[in-house]
Amino acid sequence: MIPSVWAVLGLPALWPQATLAAAALFTLGAGMFPGFSRPALRLVTVAALLAAVFQLRLAAPGLAGHPLISLDGLGLAWQGLFCLGALPAALLLDWDDEVPPALLLGSVLGMGLLAASGNLLLLFIGLEFMSLPAYSLVARPGPRGERASLEAAVKYFFAGGLAGALFLLGMALHYHQTGSLLLVRAVDGPLERAAVALMGAAALFKVGAFPLHFWLPDVYESTQSDLAGFLSTSMKAAGVFLLLRIASILPASPLAAALPWMGAATALFGALLALRQTRLQRLLAYSSISHAGNLVLGVGAWAAQGAMPEAAAPVFFYLTAYLFMSNGIFVFLKAAGVAEWNDLKGLGARNPGAAAGAAALAFCLAGIPPTGGFFAKFFVWWEAVKAGLYFPAAVAALASLTALGYYLGMVREMWLEPASAGAARGDDSDEFSPERAVVWACAAGAVLLGLAPWIFKGLLGRIL
Amino acid sequence: MGWLTLLWLAPALGGFLVFAPGKGRAPRWVALAVSLGVLAYSFWLLAPYAPGEGGWGLEESGAPWLFGIQYHLAADGLSMVLCWLTAFLTVVCVLSSWEKEVPAGYWAAFLFLEAAVLGVFLARDLLVFYIFWEAVLLPMFFIIGVWGSDGRRKAAVKFFLFTFFGSLFLLLGILCLVTFHHAATGTWTWDMARLDGNSVPPSAAIWVLACLLIGFGVKVPLVPLHTWLPDAHTEAPAAGSVMLAGVLLKMGLYGIMRLGFGAFSDLTWQILPWLAALAAVNIIYGSVCAAVQDDLKRLIAYSSVAHLGFCVLGVLSRTPEGLAGGTLQMVNHGLTTGALFLLVGALYERGHKRGVGDFGDLVDRAPWLSVCFAISVLASIGVPGLNGFVGEFMCLAGITRVIPVFALAGAAGIVLSAAYSLPAYQRVFWGEPGPSSVSAKISDLGALDKAVLGVLLALMFWIGLCPGPLLAVIEPAAAALARAPSLGVQP
Repeated sequence: MIPSVWAVLGLPALWPQATLAAAALFTLGAGMFPGFSRPALRLVTVAALLAAVFQLRLAAPGLAGHPLISLDGLGLAWQGLFCLGALPAALLLDWDDEVPPALLLGSVLGMGLLAASGNLLLLFIGLEFMSLPAYSLVARPGPRGERASLEAAVKYFFAGGLAGALFLLGMALHYHQTGSLLLVRAVDGPLERAAVALMGAAALFKVGAFPLHFWLPDVYESTQSDLAGFLSTSMKAAGVFLLLRIASILPASPLAAALPWMGAATALFGALLALRQTRLQRLLAYSSISHAGNLVLGVGAWAAQGAMPEAAAPVFFYLTAYLFMSNGIFVFLKAAGVAEWNDLKGLGARNPGAAAGAAALAFCLAGIPPTGGFFAKFFVWWEAVKAGLYFPAAVAALASLTALGYYLGMVREMWLEPASAGAARGDDSDEFSPERAVVWACAAGAVLLGLAPWIFKGLLGRIL
Repeated sequence: MGWLTLLWLAPALGGFLVFAPGKGRAPRWVALAVSLGVLAYSFWLLAPYAPGEGGWGLEESGAPWLFGIQYHLAADGLSMVLCWLTAFLTVVCVLSSWEKEVPAGYWAAFLFLEAAVLGVFLARDLLVFYIFWEAVLLPMFFIIGVWGSDGRRKAAVKFFLFTFFGSLFLLLGILCLVTFHHAATGTWTWDMARLDGNSVPPSAAIWVLACLLIGFGVKVPLVPLHTWLPDAHTEAPAAGSVMLAGVLLKMGLYGIMRLGFGAFSDLTWQILPWLAALAAVNIIYGSVCAAVQDDLKRLIAYSSVAHLGFCVLGVLSRTPEGLAGGTLQMVNHGLTTGALFLLVGALYERGHKRGVGDFGDLVDRAPWLSVCFAISVLASIGVPGLNGFVGEFMCLAGITRVIPVFALAGAAGIVLSAAYSLPAYQRVFWGEPGPSSVSAKISDLGALDKAVLGVLLALMFWIGLCPGPLLAVIEPAAAALARAPSLGVQP
C-alpha cells in the first residue's frame, strides 16, 4: 500500500529533495516581492544545492522493500552529480524574474526523485518532473533570440513527451509481464525484452544518443550558456542513470546488447558533425552528443559484464569529469563573449585568463593525459575491452581522434593565431569576472581528477 | 618521494617556477639552473648503477592502485643513456635559445617536455608509460605552434593529430594485452617486464602487436607513418627541432624495444623480415627524399628518417652488437642531428632563409660555423673517427648476422647519406653565391654558440674515438634484451 505523504516526507532518503523543494517554494514566494534582492535569491539557490549534497551523507542506502523509494549507493552518488552539475547555472544564470531559480531547483528535485526511486512509477514521475522545468527554462529568450528559444523548447517538449510515452508503454508491458512495478531484475521473455527496449529508448532520448538526438543541438544552442552546461551535465547524468536502471532490469536483453554499438555510433556521429559547425554553442552540443556516446558505450559494457551496481564506477567517473569539463567549456563561451568560431582567433592575446582555462578544458574534453578526461575515457574503453567489445571501443577511439580535430582547432585558434582586429568582445581581462572564475574552477577540477585519480577511488569506495 | 620520481618531477616543477620571476631575463636563468641541475642529478643518481648485470638497476614503485596498475619506475642501461641524452639536450636547447626574445612560457614548455620524456624513459608500468607518452604532445605542440616559423600552425596540428592517432592504437593494444594476460593467467598486471604476449590468443596476437607497432611506428618514424616529421622539424624553432629529433624520435624505438622484445618477443622474431624491410625502406626512402630537398631543415629531417632506420635494423637483429649499436646510434643521432639543427638555426636566424641555394661562400665569412657544420655532416655520414661510424658499424654487424641482405640497404644508406649531405654542404659553404644569396648577412657563431657546439663536437669525437665507457653502460642492458626471447634463437 502507498504510505501517507507525511511518512514519505519524513524519510531521510528524501531530505535532499525536501530541502530543494523548500528552497524552490521560497524563491517563488520571496521573489514575488519586487524589493527582494536578486543576489539573495541566487545565494538561496546555491545554498540549497550545497545543503542537498551534504544531506546525502545522512541519507544512508537502504529502504529495501519500500514500495516507492529505494536508495542505493548508486542513487546517492548520482544525486551528488545532479546537485553539483547545477551549481554553475545557479551561480551565473541571468534572469529578470524569480522563476528560473525555482525551475532549476525543481529540475534537480526531479532528478533526485529519479535517483531515489525503487519503483518504475516513481522513475517516470521523476523523469517528467525533471524535464518540465527544463522545457520552461529553455523557452526563455537565449542567445539566438526569443523565437529560436521557443522553437527549441517546443522541440524539446515533443521529444520529451515522446520519450515519456515510450516509457509508459514499456512500463505497461513490464507490469503485464511481471505484475509489479518494482525496479528489480526480471525474468527474460519476449514481452519483457520489448518493455525494456521501449523504456531504454526513452532513456536514450534523454541522453541524446544517435538516432534519438535530433532535439539536442537546437536546445543547447538556443539557451544561455550556463543553462546549456546544466543540461549537458546534470540532465545527461539523469539520462544515463535512467539507462543504468533500465538495463539492470534485464542485462541480457537486446537493448543491452545494442548499447555498445549505439554508443560507438553516437560518439563518431557527434564528433563528425561537430567538425562542420561554426557556431560554438552548436559545436559543443554535438560534442556533447559524442561524449554521450562514450557514456552509452560504458553502460553497455557494464551491462555485458552483469550489471553489478559496484561496477558502474567508470561511468560515474566519466560523468564526474564531464561535469567539470562541460560546465567549464559552456561557461567559457559566456566568460569570453565568443559565439562564432572566428571569435576565437587570437583570444590568447586578448583574454589570456579565459583562453588558458578553455585550452585546459579542451584538452580534458579531448582526453589527453594527464587530465581527468583521459582517465574517464580510459576507464570506459577498458571496460569495453574487458567485456570483449573491441570494435565499439575502436570506433569510440576513432571518434576521440575526430573530436580532437575541433578541440585542437579551438586551442589553435586561440593560442597560435595572432589577434584579429575584428572581434574585440570580452577583452576586459583585468577585472574579476565570476564566469572566468567558474571556468578556472572547472578546469582545475578536471585537470586534478587526472593528476590524482586515486583520490576518487577512495571516495567511490565509500559510496558504491 | 623516491629518487627516480624526483628526476622527472624536478623539471616539471621547474616549468612552473619559471613563471615566478615574471618578465625580463630571469626566467631563462631559472630554466638554465633547473636543466643543469637535472643533468647533474641524472648523472649522480644513475651512474652508480651503470655497468651492472643488465637488469633493472634502480626501481621505485608506489602502492598498487586497481587492476594491477601501479606507479612503477625503473632504470636500466637503456633508460639511463636516454635519460642522460634528454637532460643534456635540454641544456643545449636552453643555451642555444639564450638570445631569443621569448616569454617565460617558452622555457616552461621545454622543461615540461623534458619532464614528460624522462617519465617515458623511466616508466615501467604501462599506464604510467602511456600517460607520459601522451603528455609529451602538449608542450611540443605549443613549442612548434607558437614559436615556430611560417607554416607552424599546420605543422603543429599535423604533429599532434598524427601522434595522437598512433597513441590511440597504442592504448588499445596495451588494453588488449593487459586484458588477455589477465584472462590467461588470472593476474592483473601492467608491468611491461612481466606482461607476456604469449597469453594473447594467436589469432589476435598479430593484431595487438600491429596496434602497438603503429603507435610506436608513428614516433620512430617508420615509413609510411612518417609524414608528420618533415613539417614538424622544419617549422619548429631550432631548439624545438633539436628536442624533436634528438629525443622524441627515440621514444618510438624505445617502446619497440621494451614491448616488442619483452611481451611480444617471439612474435616480433617471427615477423622480423617484414619489420627489417620497413627499416630498410626507411633508410633508402629517407635518403632519396633528403637528396632532393632544397630546404636545409627538411633535408636534415629526412636524414633523421634514414638514421632511425639504421637504429631499427640494428635493434631488430637482436644480437648483442646490434642492440648496443642501435642504442648507441640513438645517442649519436641525438648529438649529431642536434648539432646540425642548431647550425641551420644559426643560419636562419641571421639570414632568414634556409634554402640550399640561398647561401654560398660562407667559409671565409663564418669559419667556425663552417667547420662545425663540416664535422657534424661527417659524423652524420658515419666517417670513422666520429660517433656515427661506431654506431652504424655495430648496427650493420648485427643485422649481417641475421639477415645479411638488409645490410646491403644499410651500406647503400651510408653512401646515400654522403650523396645528399656533401653536395648540400658544398653549395652552402663553398659554392658561388647566387643573386638571392643572403651570405652577406651571415656572421660567425657567438661565444655561447661556440661553447655549446664545442661540447657537442667534443662528445662526437669522444664517442667516435673512445666509445668504451658509453658502451660499457649500454652493453649489459643490450645483452639482457638479447637474452629476453624465450625461443632459443640466438647468436
